[in-house]
Amino acid sequence: MGIIGTASERQHANPPSLADELAEIELPDQDGTHHRLGDYWKETPAVLVWLRHYG
Amino acid sequence: MQLYRERDALEETGAPLVLIGQATPRHAAHFRRRLEIDLPVLADEKRVSYKAAGAKVATLDELLGPKVVAKGLVGALRSRQPQGRTIGHPAQLGGAMIVRPDGSVAWSHMSEDASDNASPAEILAALEAHGADV
Repeated sequence: MGIIGTASERQHANPPSLADELAEIELPDQDGTHHRLGDYWKETPAVLVWLRHYG
Repeated sequence: MQLYRERDALEETGAPLVLIGQATPRHAAHFRRRLEIDLPVLADEKRVSYKAAGAKVATLDELLGPKVVAKGLVGALRSRQPQGRTIGHPAQLGGAMIVRPDGSVAWSHMSEDASDNASPAEILAALEAHGADV
């Protein structure tokens, strides 16, 4: 690992073709309420955005 | 958060927008207040979902190389939203993904460097192209 946690070798983004693993992940929101990710796309497609940081 | 500003167009598609950050719920609450976001912001301090989404950790050049910094400055000027203090893993990159109800990933754009972000127009176009045919 390089400085400030950077990768020492170039990686490639590797998104899955199926979101099965993502579906089972539960994360808290700003109030601490947990949400199962798979619930967001149960009925309609969902857009997920991973922020690089909260800055 | 250009995509959030395009939320009306996104809401017309019926697709929920899920924002995930790599810090604590307290940081998520501060982020929401600062950017005046009224959507839930999920907190993934351990970056579990980042890994499951195939998001990468940048090299120093992918984070702070001249092209990346220049593009980032242009983006900040365009959005008039200066970058705040970095919270979380500084080299963790993000991305965007559209998931259909059957669990298939219809489209994704995971960042290859710190300046590589899908535009709201790209995401909306992807939703129209891939998300509506469920």
